[in-house]
Amino acid sequence: MASVVAADHLSKWYGQVIGLNDVSVTVPPGITGLLGPNGAGKSTFMKLITGQLKPSKGAIRVLDEPIWGNPALYHRIGFCPEQDSFYERMTGAEWVAALVRLNGVGDQEAASMAARAIEMVELTEAANKKIGAYSKGMRQRIKMAQALVHDPSLLILDEPLSGMDPLARRRTIRMIKEWGRAGKSIVVSSHILHEIESMTPNILLINQGRIIAEGNVHQIRDLIDEHPHTVHIKADQIRALAREFLAYDDVLSLRLEENAVIVQTGKPDAFYARLTEIAASGEHGAIHEVTSPDDNLQAVFQYLVKS
Amino acid sequence: MNEIQNQNHQNRNLEPRTPNSVRPTPPVWSSAIRIFDLSLGQMLWSRRSVFLALLLGGPVAIAVVLRVVATLYAPGLQINGARAPGASIFGIMIWLLFIRFIVPVLGVFYGTALIADEVEDKTITYLFTRPIPRSAVLLGKYLAYLACTVLLVLPSVVVVFFLIVPIGGSSIGAAFPSLVTDLVMLTIGLAAYGAVFALVGTRLKRPLVIGLVFAFGWEPAVLLFPGYLRRFTVAYYLQALVTHEMPQDSAVSLLLQVFHEVPSVPVSLLCLAVIIGVTLWSAGRAVENREYVLEQ
Repeated sequence: MASVVAADHLSKWYGQVIGLNDVSVTVPPGITGLLGPNGAGKSTFMKLITGQLKPSKGAIRVLDEPIWGNPALYHRIGFCPEQDSFYERMTGAEWVAALVRLNGVGDQEAASMAARAIEMVELTEAANKKIGAYSKGMRQRIKMAQALVHDPSLLILDEPLSGMDPLARRRTIRMIKEWGRAGKSIVVSSHILHEIESMTPNILLINQGRIIAEGNVHQIRDLIDEHPHTVHIKADQIRALAREFLAYDDVLSLRLEENAVIVQTGKPDAFYARLTEIAASGEHGAIHEVTSPDDNLQAVFQYLVKS
Repeated sequence: MNEIQNQNHQNRNLEPRTPNSVRPTPPVWSSAIRIFDLSLGQMLWSRRSVFLALLLGGPVAIAVVLRVVATLYAPGLQINGARAPGASIFGIMIWLLFIRFIVPVLGVFYGTALIADEVEDKTITYLFTRPIPRSAVLLGKYLAYLACTVLLVLPSVVVVFFLIVPIGGSSIGAAFPSLVTDLVMLTIGLAAYGAVFALVGTRLKRPLVIGLVFAFGWEPAVLLFPGYLRRFTVAYYLQALVTHEMPQDSAVSLLLQVFHEVPSVPVSLLCLAVIIGVTLWSAGRAVENREYVLEQ
């Protein structure tokens, strides 16, 4: 198979608004990162390759077949959507089993497949808890479990690390790389380069509905580092964290909000690595959530588009 | 070492058990049954079911009041001066409260929301990215609606029956066959209204408003006048299935006689089956072809 996704002059309009504009691209087997700021067209592209939207113009093929109106193809595709939505009253195990039953498997097989998938996302201990009681990281992982429960050859993950704490983020990145090594093709979207870079060097850069670059991440790596990177951290002890961050040379600015500290750093890699160590040590209490607005990435995209 | 073993175990799990590439799409009917299994519990424990329970509490409360009044006043209940036996009162309640009010209300509120609820909750993605036809999602949720409403409506009717029918000395045993007929008629009514409003929900904007206008504007208005227009209602065909004897020599009986200008039972059943089949098919086509854009 030459490509897992092939778009040919693909466009999508929402009335007068262009979501995706004349995109021709092929996604090779392996792990591919789809990188772009919010509103760039990532979600539209993800919805098109998962058959939720129909192309306005052009064609899209997934695993060598058209995806729109072709439900049989979902035997081979697993999709982890961005939205944080569930049947909250169900337990994780019930939910994953109920969804894999839709693939045509029996009750017992569904239960054992769900248990395996939940084990793969390291959520076995919480499998019988209601999803409504899950943390953000657990909710992300149970979404991934439903995506891979039927053993698809292509996994499509839409912002899978969104809102996770540093430890869950590290664990999830490790899992995604393991699945890639095990032979799955994975398309993963994010608006944070450092997340994508930690999973794969192969990226698609998308902005304003167009693919503006594709290939090796290192080619735009230096550009990213020239721009300050903003990190929003929710934690128990934000003042202690802020004191710790002030000692770092790469921290350019810092401010406190309710239950959160917002940091601008000139060396995101180093900062994320230290943040993960702090979270693992528990030295400054629990870190609940790490997010990054895409202002810094937007600046790089503007630069790329102009050049 | 443990980590390596664990990793090997995970990798083994990733090996394909059966070749997914050759699996066909499961048939609509079996997929719909699986969606039904998934949806029934969600529907039974939804806020809508609380509303449904409150709605069904109304007739039971009325029945209790009537029974108490009938017990306290020995001459029994009268409508426009005519003595009304319990079986007739029960018949009026079935027609006016259940068929003309509760069943259409349930059809509107559940039928228009079969897909809309999943879209609003943003859970539709999980169903539409599984190897099942989209129309099976609609069909499965429709069946869940039917089971949910039948499970809640029929017990309420049975309670009303046992409270009302003994009033004025009517025999429960003699009236029991008509209860069975009423339960069947209510089930058919729920099926027909649910299918019609499922179509409204999948094809039209503002389905709730349109549904309410259809059920409480169009249908009552058109039924009052003779002519062809009444054939474009569900209630017209349901009337043929009503078997109750109504009190005579009263305004209500005259009104009900007007209502009883109806087609034969076989024609009504055939037309209701056609309504259910055509509207569900059309709603299924709409779901197959429509793009659902979720708000982020």
